[in-house]
Amino acid sequence: MSRKKGQEKIFEIKWKTDLPYRYSIGKLAVKFFEELKKNKKIYGSKCPKCGKVNFPPRAVCADCFVEMTLSDMVELPPKGTLEGFTVVNYPFVDPQTGGMRPFPYGYALLKLDGADTYTMHFVNETDYTKLKVGQRVEAVFKEEREGNMGDIPYFKVIKEEE
Amino acid sequence: MDHFEGINFSEMWCGIESAPGYLKPVVKVATGGTTGSSLAICGYYNVASGIYKNILVIGWEKLNEGGATTGIITAFDPVWERPSLAGALGPLALMAGMYSAKYGITPEQAAKVTVKNRSNAANNPFAHLQMPNITIDYVMSSQMISYPLRLHDVCPQSEGACAIIYANEEETKKITDNPAWVKSVATSHYYTFGTDDKMYDLPTATMASKKVYKKAGIKDPIRDLDVAEIYEPTSWSELAWTEALGFAEPGQGGKLLDEGITQMSGELPVNPSGGVLSTNPIGATALVRVAEAAIQVMGRGEKRQIPDVETALAMGFGGSLWTELLILGKEKLR
Repeated sequence: MSRKKGQEKIFEIKWKTDLPYRYSIGKLAVKFFEELKKNKKIYGSKCPKCGKVNFPPRAVCADCFVEMTLSDMVELPPKGTLEGFTVVNYPFVDPQTGGMRPFPYGYALLKLDGADTYTMHFVNETDYTKLKVGQRVEAVFKEEREGNMGDIPYFKVIKEEE
Repeated sequence: MDHFEGINFSEMWCGIESAPGYLKPVVKVATGGTTGSSLAICGYYNVASGIYKNILVIGWEKLNEGGATTGIITAFDPVWERPSLAGALGPLALMAGMYSAKYGITPEQAAKVTVKNRSNAANNPFAHLQMPNITIDYVMSSQMISYPLRLHDVCPQSEGACAIIYANEEETKKITDNPAWVKSVATSHYYTFGTDDKMYDLPTATMASKKVYKKAGIKDPIRDLDVAEIYEPTSWSELAWTEALGFAEPGQGGKLLDEGITQMSGELPVNPSGGVLSTNPIGATALVRVAEAAIQVMGRGEKRQIPDVETALAMGFGGSLWTELLILGKEKLR
């Protein structure tokens, strides 16, 4: 908590605490993380009725309400396009860690090639003048993967031959 | 809201024991940014249903304790969204950039929204930010906090509260001969992941506005509404969401402002109170929209009063990209 000019110093008690809880991610996400960890592959889910390809994979088509199963999962390339971007340049406590989220950082809404839905992720560019809508990006994989989203720490900006 | 302040029982700050809630039924409603409009709609349902004759609805926020950005992140998907999500402002910045790229809306047009709303706030003694001499240059030279959002393109964090009395027809006669009547309400959701919606075309605002206009007999919102209090967390949001509410065609929100239609003297003034850009105690913010709409209908707006208001729109917007709307009027809905 910040102290404003003219305010007297306040008495503070600071602590960090673990808040563990279980969250069921579903069968499709389990397959996604297994493939990510073992094979560096990205899987989405394709609606068997309308053909919409979802990334992140989801178990029910938001348009048709049709359930998707493991056999509806499709591999997607690690490349995609920025639909929107920003450079986050303000301080806040990250509930994932209990500490401050490092900033500035590139943050984007992107679509993988072959996917019909968007995802949000980090981008390795903190100069907003160097980003544009339509910018091509590619997933960067960690060498030692653990089966979580940290295995793709960010998407990197790429240039491609026309 | 407990979620933002990180404690339980935050209503105790409102002094429920000493307030009129003592020994009476108390119901707590918290739906994020829409909390105030959810409260307003629940208040309406409670009285219109005949269950209660008279109720007091209170919304509040004490953001100096706790952290809204941190609280908002915890409300999103822990696997796919929390790692990169930067509270509300990150997605609102994405939205502003996409809206600008798609329709050629300029930072100057966005800055004009801040200038309009904060100039209006100077007529509202309850507004948090009092910046009567604010200029477009001042907004456009403020710090870039999340491109394209500059410091003065976004709402402040405020502490404050708002209360509205709801009463049935008979009780209303005992209180005032000049009430504001609730004519219609609507809530719309559309969401699985936050990324399903690019937000500048806010589908829930379009869905809710169609419902609420139909029920209140509004065919052309610019002609049939006299004032609108909309929920604009950023300057860009007001431009985009006036389109989503049907005030202008997609991409024409900037033109709507440039033509002066949403100014105090325009055909449909938007946010004479100064809006969210001037005052944002989150749990009260959407209730303030409803209270300000009621103030306009009752003609009690003093320096911020729009002449001859018959019908007013109030909007709430929340983190799961949902919209709630109320239409208030001088006349009862027949």
